[in-house]
Amino acid sequence: MKNIYKLFLMCCALLTISACTDLDEVLVGEVGAPFNGEEPSFGDFDGGGSGPSDAVASAFNQLRESGSANHGGYWSIQSVSTDEMAVTQKGGDWYDGGIWIDMHRHTYGPSNGPITGTWGAQYSAIGACNTALASGDLDANQTAQVRALRAFFYYRLLDLYGRVKIVTTPGVDAPQSTRAQVFAFVESELLASLGMSSVLPVLDPSGSALGTSVDSYRINQFAALGLLAKVYMNAEVYTGTPKRAEAAACADYVISNGPYVLCGDGCTVPNAAKRPSVETDPDVLEGYAAVFAPNNQDNPEIIWSIAYDNVSGANMNFAQMTLHYSSQFTWNLQNQPWNGYSALEDFYNSYENTDKRKAANFIVGPQSDYEGSVILDYAATGGDLALDYTTDINELEPNASRKGGARLGKFSFRQGQRDNMDNDYPIIRLGDMYLIRAEAAARIAGNWNVALPDVNTVRARAGVAPLTALTADEFLAERGREMFMEVTRRQDLIRFGKFNDAWWEKPTSAAFRNVFPIPQEQIDASGGTLTQNPGY
Amino acid sequence: MKNKLLKKLLLPLALLLGSFIYAQSVTGTVSDASGPLPGVNVLVKGTSTGTVTDFDGNYTITANSGTTLVFSFVGYLTQEVVVSGSTVNVTLSEDAAQLDEVVVVGYGSTTKKEITSAVTKVGEEEFNRGTINNPSELLQGKVAGLSIYNKGGNPNDDAVIRLRGISTVGSNSSPLIVIDGVIGASLNNVDPSDIESMTVLKDGSAAAIYGSRGSSGVIIVTTKRGKSGSTQVSYNGSVATSSISRTIDRLDGDAFAAAGGTDLGSRTDWLGAVTRSSISNIHNVAISGGYDKTNFRVSTNFRDAQGILDKSGFKQFNTRLQATTAILNDKLKIDFNASYTKRDSDFGFNEALRYAMMYNPTAPIYGVDSPYPFNPDPYGGYFETLGLFDSFNPVSIINQNTNTGSRNEFTYSANFKYAVSDNISLNGLYSEQSSKYTNKEYYRTTSLFRGSATSPTRKGLARLTSGEDKFRLFELYGDYDVAASDKLALKFTGGYSWQEQNYNNYFLSAGDFPNDNLEYIDALEWSQDKINAGFIDINSNRSPNQRIIAFFGRVNATFDDAIYFNASVRREGSTKLGENNKWGTFPAFGLGVDLNKYLQINNVDLFKVRLGYGVTGSLPGQYGLAVARFEPTADLLSTRQVTDANPDLKWEEKAETNFGVEFNMGRFGATLDLYTRKVSDFILERAVDVAVYPTGRRVENGGDLSTKGLELSVNYDFVKTADVTYNMGLVLSTYKTTLDSFDTTTLNGNLGAPGQNDTNVIFVGPGAEIGQIYGPVWTGEVVNGSQTFVDVNGDGNTASSQTSQIIGNAIDADGDGVIDGDLTKLGNGIPDLELGWSHTLKYKKWDVNAFFRGAFGHSLVNNFRVFYEPRVGSQGSYNYVNTKYADPAITNAKFSSLYVEKADFFKLDNISVGYTFDMGEGNKYLKDVRLSLSAQNLFTITGYTGADPEPALQDKGSVDNGGFLGGTANPLIPGIDRRYNYFASRTITFGVNVNF
Repeated sequence: MKNIYKLFLMCCALLTISACTDLDEVLVGEVGAPFNGEEPSFGDFDGGGSGPSDAVASAFNQLRESGSANHGGYWSIQSVSTDEMAVTQKGGDWYDGGIWIDMHRHTYGPSNGPITGTWGAQYSAIGACNTALASGDLDANQTAQVRALRAFFYYRLLDLYGRVKIVTTPGVDAPQSTRAQVFAFVESELLASLGMSSVLPVLDPSGSALGTSVDSYRINQFAALGLLAKVYMNAEVYTGTPKRAEAAACADYVISNGPYVLCGDGCTVPNAAKRPSVETDPDVLEGYAAVFAPNNQDNPEIIWSIAYDNVSGANMNFAQMTLHYSSQFTWNLQNQPWNGYSALEDFYNSYENTDKRKAANFIVGPQSDYEGSVILDYAATGGDLALDYTTDINELEPNASRKGGARLGKFSFRQGQRDNMDNDYPIIRLGDMYLIRAEAAARIAGNWNVALPDVNTVRARAGVAPLTALTADEFLAERGREMFMEVTRRQDLIRFGKFNDAWWEKPTSAAFRNVFPIPQEQIDASGGTLTQNPGY
Repeated sequence: MKNKLLKKLLLPLALLLGSFIYAQSVTGTVSDASGPLPGVNVLVKGTSTGTVTDFDGNYTITANSGTTLVFSFVGYLTQEVVVSGSTVNVTLSEDAAQLDEVVVVGYGSTTKKEITSAVTKVGEEEFNRGTINNPSELLQGKVAGLSIYNKGGNPNDDAVIRLRGISTVGSNSSPLIVIDGVIGASLNNVDPSDIESMTVLKDGSAAAIYGSRGSSGVIIVTTKRGKSGSTQVSYNGSVATSSISRTIDRLDGDAFAAAGGTDLGSRTDWLGAVTRSSISNIHNVAISGGYDKTNFRVSTNFRDAQGILDKSGFKQFNTRLQATTAILNDKLKIDFNASYTKRDSDFGFNEALRYAMMYNPTAPIYGVDSPYPFNPDPYGGYFETLGLFDSFNPVSIINQNTNTGSRNEFTYSANFKYAVSDNISLNGLYSEQSSKYTNKEYYRTTSLFRGSATSPTRKGLARLTSGEDKFRLFELYGDYDVAASDKLALKFTGGYSWQEQNYNNYFLSAGDFPNDNLEYIDALEWSQDKINAGFIDINSNRSPNQRIIAFFGRVNATFDDAIYFNASVRREGSTKLGENNKWGTFPAFGLGVDLNKYLQINNVDLFKVRLGYGVTGSLPGQYGLAVARFEPTADLLSTRQVTDANPDLKWEEKAETNFGVEFNMGRFGATLDLYTRKVSDFILERAVDVAVYPTGRRVENGGDLSTKGLELSVNYDFVKTADVTYNMGLVLSTYKTTLDSFDTTTLNGNLGAPGQNDTNVIFVGPGAEIGQIYGPVWTGEVVNGSQTFVDVNGDGNTASSQTSQIIGNAIDADGDGVIDGDLTKLGNGIPDLELGWSHTLKYKKWDVNAFFRGAFGHSLVNNFRVFYEPRVGSQGSYNYVNTKYADPAITNAKFSSLYVEKADFFKLDNISVGYTFDMGEGNKYLKDVRLSLSAQNLFTITGYTGADPEPALQDKGSVDNGGFLGGTANPLIPGIDRRYNYFASRTITFGVNVNF
């Protein structure tokens, strides 16, 4: 029987020798390094899928992850802080701690959640770019693309926050730069990707590693130049030194040398929102409306876009964000929408009634369901249950009407829409280039009438009469009508000195509001390497 | 003590000397340390002549000189005195056996008097009464410093257990459970009926020997065991009925219509329609016995527990086997335990309670009663208010859908104890646990709630979760006893512990079913999601083998049988930590002195002071923290980073100092414990510089936390006679936890939709107490339907930007001494004082137990009120909550002090009356039968207007519009009473215990 005791001790001894102090952590089913899939595993799903599969896919995916077209991030703070739209407090709905009222009235502070989230999302995207660049897997073209893409995310930070860290190596910190330094970095990276040291006196991207063929989900020379045009257009805001000639040169090069055309008459896509039993629903979307349709993946005007797809390219949620709960039945939406965003009446009214962009950009009036019957809102007040979007909004808070305000319809919906939409979101498109060329030229000349030819090109496509004279305000309004929902309004208002003006339910605001505060959370986490923007 | 001993010796001697034999009347007084003792039995030995002392302790009895009188009384040592005169005065001393009571502590046991740390043992007699489905509820309120709350009392929910508040932020904040020596055992695999006692190791010095897993305290469960002798069979059974005990005031149909709500023509009591008077029953049969050196106990338990919410509850079968034997000439003792539990749960839908609170009280249940044209067919015949956010017919939710689960748990352990010599023994323990679970949800194609009945194409949803958690334990330890001298005894313990834990699970969600003929959860092949890309959601996970390995040693020294000292050290390593920081060393010591042995205060039986200090480590909850991890993007063609690596992650350390005093004087006993604990380098996920770490969040050693607390328990026997005993016990505890250092200040606890997103109400910041509720202060005035707020910082501005729930409004960022916005502290989610007050009355064969419980000083954010009390015009199809605080002038919803309520409460937690029929020797079949009637939650005194004033110690976040609630709870966010909580119930239980 002593054997049992011996056995016992032997077991213990064995354990002590081998497994007894083994503390290695062996992870199963975990991916410890980024990779990109080899083959697309499925076909297009109406909206062009999520873009090509290549070594830069993880970096380009960040365009969707960084708040470009969903609620509560980059798109929201760029848009709600302007006179384009508001998120009103509808009694018990959408107060959300006052963050959207703050955004509208420019009373936001360094702890505002969406401002914090937007900062984080851009840096996450930059992190993915840095990782891709550091991987050594990229060819020259891909390297140039990712550098331009990273410059795009830094351009967003430059525009929103001004003074940020320029981090270019994964995990290696950098000091906080001045806004001018960030501008210089963005400019130099874009120029480098274009193989140029400057765009003046002669713009010659022939040495660029970037391609020239149409590929709207990746960056070609025209995309990089288009981005550079936007950066230069705002250079005065960023650095105090205008770069109008540079902006004009870039935009002109894209217009003159690119294979892109404005999508006008005859440029159509099938109307994905068509209800078979509603005859007034058009069969096709044409011109301006087609540029932003769910099936806009081959639109000839789009130079660079974000590939959204309802399955593989998530995060465009405009239908959910803007539509009233009951509008679910017009488009047979998979899920109930949220009744959040609506356009400001003054902005809506800035369009002529014949402007095709007005019909394309807004949803107003009585709403009908899939069969064409009136939609009722049983929670409506005042006895009239029919859902009817009014262009006016009674107040920003606290008891804004549930059906107040034109709804954002520019990125149009399709029948059976899921939460995630299929429409590709243009970052650079030709219409914008015309207006940048026009504005830059007008500013150089000191005469807004210089802008007329390009402005009238854009207006012609919208079906409105050409203008014969222009003022700065009229140009800004025209640019506003064209670029609604395309996150240029805040920049434009700042550039034209209007961002601090009063508008509906917003008093005048101080000039320091022209940059957002650095998120307090990041200042705290940075260990003293980040300081707050002045005024906050 | 000494003079008592002297008395004991001298008195009989004196009596003996003067003794001569004749019958006489003997009188005297019986007393104890604190005075005369009524009700003491006095018996002439060897006869049936006896009497009982009167109220003043006096007695008279006829006894011959030279005969022996026997004085006996419960709780005292029986004393025999030889009669030698007409007066016999006796002083009974308390049965010191309770001080020699064996208490199980880590890796061994000790006697109560030797304990040097804060340890509380609760025996079966003291357990809570009534229908108790979870072992932790047996202890609720019984142990000072142990907070146990199952808010709302959902039978399928485990209670949140906290010992002395939170001891850690990002890791295990529940105490370690040790069942019959198996550490980390599952409380779900032991039936409350099988528990003999529970011992709570409260302070660090006691728990330190268990290492990191004991960092939040230890609850040691000892199950009932067989005894040698005849085989015994017992049956315990009970049947109980429960009904909803508290609800939230809201408008009825008429009042709602009168208040401007949309009148849909019907009058429906939605809460009544989804709740019920439930019937539960419990049956337990145990067979125990043994012969010679072997004994055993086998029990089986069956529970059918119904919740007050329709279609909620569980059926559970549990069996437990225990066998012990000794072989090798009694040198090797083998102890084997096994238990198995199978539970089939009907989780029901808490959402039905939520929507019952807010659904239009004028809406009909069924579509045929709709006041306007409404085709109910797509909705299974039920009425629905379409086009409203977050509004679902509660009856349809319950009746159309299923949410069930089954869990199988199996545990076994074998312990070998070998006595090498008289003073050396070795212990080896091996144990395995496995818990397998499968949860199934099915939402019909006609259910608006999660079934997407309005969808044109994709109706119906099935969700399937399955997984297994496994745990293996091997421990080896030995004891060596040394009697160093007459006065000094030493005991050395040393050992090794190896623990390995892993889990795997898979999840599947698929929808779009062809019709409503089947519950397609069991026929998933029909999911049309298979041909429609992107809807099927699947994932599977397997954890690495997560190991904890430790070496430990302890020495116990007893000097003069009055000074007790122990010291231990544990060296512990974990797979979860960074490569260079895997191992930590954690010391502890305890000192106890029985001062009375030296002070000899009159009438005092025990006066012990003790001091303990212990350091333990804590581990993060997650694994894989030392490496960056990636998940696939939606197109499965690339990756998205989900975590940033922290290869430097090290042990979180908790150092706790405990000072205690134990005092006994006659019928009075008291224990006082004072403690402070300091948690340094606590582990949590937090925001990091996103420019450097692309996910912006990382698990780090984040800061320091400290807790100071006081615990007092008092016991007094008011009456102690042969027929009547009445005992009262009181436990009180209070603590405060402060975040000493932390690099960010944030508001947490988002209230959610509709309208209260980005409304974060709980303050977390350096130097701040845990659990503070922050918000704007309502002035009491309403302007244009809006509350106006107090200008807290006095800057003349109370705009929304000053009162919105962002941290900038709660702090003084610019350091000018004034808070930058108008937010201020509105309450604290953690109680200041928790109280348990027990009464035990026995009269002959009757017994009555009453237990009152209370918590004071905590507040709750009443979410039903925040969302539904404002008379929001544009929301006229939701019902209005209508408590005493309701102000119909408020027409929009903004969180403020108005919705933060003091939730002090005092309740009769349980009361029971029992009667025992002693069948006597004559009955061949039955020994005794006990009948009892218990009531739980009979009344609650509180000013809180929500469903349940019990504290919410942690938070699981918000969910709305049919979304799914996440699983993880955050201990830094106490104080939010969410809309998904279950409603408290009142239960009446009739019980039968039979011993055959």
